[in-house]
Amino acid sequence: MNRVNAVVVGAGAAGGIVAKALSTAGLSVVLFERGKWYTANDCRKDDLRNQRTTVLGNAFGPDDEGNPRVWVDVAGATHIALPSEGAYQNNAACVGGGTLSYGAQAWRYLPQDFRMRSTYGAPAGSSLEDWPITYDDLEPFYEKAEYEIGISGDYSGTPFHGPRRRDLPMPPLPPNREFEILEPAAKRLGLHPFHIPMARNSVPYNGRGPCMRCRWCVGFACEVDAKNGSQNTVIPTALATGNCVLHTECMVTEILTDDRGRARGVSWIDEHGHRRQQLSDIVVVSACAIESARLLLNSKSRLFPNGLGNRYDQVGRNLQGHHYTGATGYFDFETYDDVGPGASIAVTDYNHGTPGLCGGGMLANEFIRLPIHMLDRLPGETPRWGPAHKQAMRAYHRRSIVVMGPTQQIPTAAGRVTVDPGVKDKWDLPVARFEGNVHPHTFEIGEIQARRAEAWLKEAGALRTSIGAGKPSLVSAGQHQAGTCRMGDDPHGSVVNKNCQLHDIDNLFVIDSSVHVTNGGFNPVLTIMAIAYFASDSLVRNWKGTQFRS
Amino acid sequence: MKRLLTIATIAVCSAALLAVGGSYATSLYYAAGHGDACADCHEMAAYVSAVHSSPHHNAGCTDCHDASLSAKLRHIGVHLSGAQPESIRMREVDTRQMIVSCQRCHQHEYVSWHAGPHSATYAEIFANSAHNSKRRLMDDCLRCHGMYFNGAVRDLVQPQNTSGPWHLSRPDLADQPTIPCQACHWIHREGLPETKPASRISVAGPAIPESLAFFDRREEMHFTALSLPIPKLYDGATLLKVSPDQRQSVCYECHAPRQPETNSVAAINHWGEQAGSGDDRTPMGVHEGLSCFSCHNGHNQNARASCKTCHPAMSHCGLDVEKMDTTYANPSSPHNIHWVRCVDCHKHGVPKVRTRMKQTTLSAGQ
Amino acid sequence: MFTRRQFVAASAMAGAALAVGCAKRQRTPWEFLSEPEARTLKAICDQIVPADDFPSASQAGVLTYIDRQLVRHFRSYQESYRRGLQQANLLSKKRFGLDLAAASPQQQFAIVSAIEKQDPHFFELVRTHTLQGYYGSPRHGGNRDAVSWRMLGLAEPPLLGRAQYDLTAGKRS
Repeated sequence: MNRVNAVVVGAGAAGGIVAKALSTAGLSVVLFERGKWYTANDCRKDDLRNQRTTVLGNAFGPDDEGNPRVWVDVAGATHIALPSEGAYQNNAACVGGGTLSYGAQAWRYLPQDFRMRSTYGAPAGSSLEDWPITYDDLEPFYEKAEYEIGISGDYSGTPFHGPRRRDLPMPPLPPNREFEILEPAAKRLGLHPFHIPMARNSVPYNGRGPCMRCRWCVGFACEVDAKNGSQNTVIPTALATGNCVLHTECMVTEILTDDRGRARGVSWIDEHGHRRQQLSDIVVVSACAIESARLLLNSKSRLFPNGLGNRYDQVGRNLQGHHYTGATGYFDFETYDDVGPGASIAVTDYNHGTPGLCGGGMLANEFIRLPIHMLDRLPGETPRWGPAHKQAMRAYHRRSIVVMGPTQQIPTAAGRVTVDPGVKDKWDLPVARFEGNVHPHTFEIGEIQARRAEAWLKEAGALRTSIGAGKPSLVSAGQHQAGTCRMGDDPHGSVVNKNCQLHDIDNLFVIDSSVHVTNGGFNPVLTIMAIAYFASDSLVRNWKGTQFRS
Repeated sequence: MKRLLTIATIAVCSAALLAVGGSYATSLYYAAGHGDACADCHEMAAYVSAVHSSPHHNAGCTDCHDASLSAKLRHIGVHLSGAQPESIRMREVDTRQMIVSCQRCHQHEYVSWHAGPHSATYAEIFANSAHNSKRRLMDDCLRCHGMYFNGAVRDLVQPQNTSGPWHLSRPDLADQPTIPCQACHWIHREGLPETKPASRISVAGPAIPESLAFFDRREEMHFTALSLPIPKLYDGATLLKVSPDQRQSVCYECHAPRQPETNSVAAINHWGEQAGSGDDRTPMGVHEGLSCFSCHNGHNQNARASCKTCHPAMSHCGLDVEKMDTTYANPSSPHNIHWVRCVDCHKHGVPKVRTRMKQTTLSAGQ
Repeated sequence: MFTRRQFVAASAMAGAALAVGCAKRQRTPWEFLSEPEARTLKAICDQIVPADDFPSASQAGVLTYIDRQLVRHFRSYQESYRRGLQQANLLSKKRFGLDLAAASPQQQFAIVSAIEKQDPHFFELVRTHTLQGYYGSPRHGGNRDAVSWRMLGLAEPPLLGRAQYDLTAGKRS
């Protein structure tokens, strides 16, 4: 196959943007995706088989056959996890990646989120660090993401956000009933509630129509195509340039390096199982935190016996997601209006500034709940089966509100991805293996966040509440996985520089959530997108004709 | 060489004979015994038993279904490979063949449906440049048009944009109907045959044909008219009187209202779901409270002739009620028959003698 | 290429396999369960979601859901079900001298409560699968006619109209 300028591995939130930025700048690009290009027709809103409720499997990949991972519990025992199981820490495997089926909350991190170590100091046992870039560096690229991807919302209700030059391109959807119940309650508590920014059309935008407000949102592909991901925005733009070729159901197995230690392309397995090579001037890895780390670690050679970028044993470390905690409130009036997407109102008052706490997180009402989501969310004393359980479902499905949020995690070097020495996947590649746990201070913050959610619900009139603040005994990653190829100035403590370029290989980039130093107290996707715009901007600026030289 | 040719000819001919004969034989086999042969396959048993308790219990399986050798070999292949789907579903091609079967007995309904808008073809719906240039096609279109289509909308029409020109990726579907009989009728369901029209007239309101059901593409199954919702609708802030005629629930599945649009007057004032929003055509104004079926018959939606049921052929203003411009497609039309109000014509107020008409009460099904 | 003999032999074997496979089933509606197992499972499922003014688990088709998935996504639980159902029935025989299916509702409740404590792995499987079947999508065989969603007051299918907009009329119409 002909040599191209750039190979991009992974057609998700970041990979799609990189492919679009490079191909519109005139570079020839090959974009690899291990999954399929699914549509809403492939799931048809199945309550039991989607990307959130996976009791009958994942709707948007990977399949349970031939894609295992390994996790190590806190006692040191190893377990196999299948993609439809929680311990697998799955995001998705498809064109669009997580953005095909996500809930689409599109948050900017706060300025403090980029300076966590300077703001709070590193707690013992943590690897808390500042980013090498600031909110101000990223602000123009946040804006670009908001306009190119299409974000609706309204920040005017809160002072707790970073400075911004432009409003969001779309107004928020009209409020649902939960918004109307929670908003006055938050104000009475002295909080600043506002409309969640969402990558969802509230009005016609980007050539597509608005949300139809159905019951099936997070975990499902949108049947009216009003949810904005890379699969219906940047990837079609990239393909339309004629400079970008997308290979679906193709697995990149290794990044190839030459004898001078530079990347020279990738080897990959096509949809028929044939091994092939694609040579390129640069390689961009955008496979999400777990798979990006795995690809670097699986690319071993004489010059790089421990994998690429791993000279100082940094690849795979600082794996973090979000520690979700919150509360369910039970009311004596109907709170359910069957109007999606459900999640509508948030407060960011608790993200920073609590004495004694190293950060915090955003709190928001949860997405619209399908009946299957209520089964184990009933008031604490409800029997788990029998007539009383059935009665409680009837009593509370329409009379409950869940408020919860992503607690910003305190990263640790011990929470990490390695490759398993024994277990291999269907492509005969060593699979990802997780070790470590969540930092204990994260649990403390999460507990307090849950109490805050409970207080909000009580103020809103909840007669009873139940707290959800578990302490899982494994590493946290999941859909919000981040941190495994940390961005930094010091090659001993990070994997890429602030332009997402590997410290020791100048034509190899990692551009996705792997580079997040810390993961904010927010859903990370808009930051992933902003980083992708930021990094591809510097990449294009440094592109010299047919060869890449930094 | 010649001998070889002869052998080859004989082989081809006997293979063809075997196929034709075999096909005929399997058809005969499955036609006999009133479904017993079909029920021998345990996958089929439930469906055979369902049709036995349906109004079509006198019909044989092969009256509607293909039982040729090739179809049966396909079934056996699926059975042996262990790749059975969770349950048996109609394919798009099956529903098309079914139309022919239905037509054989229900000729009047077929002709009526064929003359009306619900027989619109794939080409008319999906390659319609007036529509496609204004709005993007999406998988949700298939909920009401082409609900049996096996694929996504991108497998049906290209390009997927608003600039066109659009062509069907499946040209064989161009002149095929998007809303087959089984969009609104459920065959394999319990029930008695339709009763005679005279006995339908009762104080309990209109009878609901038991076959009346909506095929939900999402679940790939029918939901009966009785189980489907009739929406609660508002005209501005006012709750609208909607006929309780349950037959309409099937119409509402596609002719459905929407939540108030972002920044609309209704959204800003927190009004409920508005009549006339989305695809809704619930009558407001002078026709408020009428059922869809007051004017439309189920198979042909032409309602012209029904005006005379209530109105004199010539209106008091001297207009021919059957020739008035009553277009419904244009929501802003002053004569939109679904939403026309007294004051749309009586610009200076409603004549006193007419106000007594308001006292009329409506019963179910009017 | 096949020889003629191989072809005949293969056809005969396929035919025989089909005949044996079908004969074994004896026209039960189940893909995995035997009739006695189905009766025992029905008794347990109907304790987990009993009938009131809305149907019980088995009336809503939950057995169909579990049975179908036991030869599909729940294949790895086949042995747990075989063993668990047998144990439940034995327990009922030991305690009441009756098959679980033949026991009174009170007796069935006692047995299911006992299983919850004695065999929590099996109980959790059945509980989870029963609730999934009852409250999940009708397409999988449980929640027949979306009965549990109707019980919760959810319209099914919900009414969702198209947005009326015109992209030729400008950016936001």
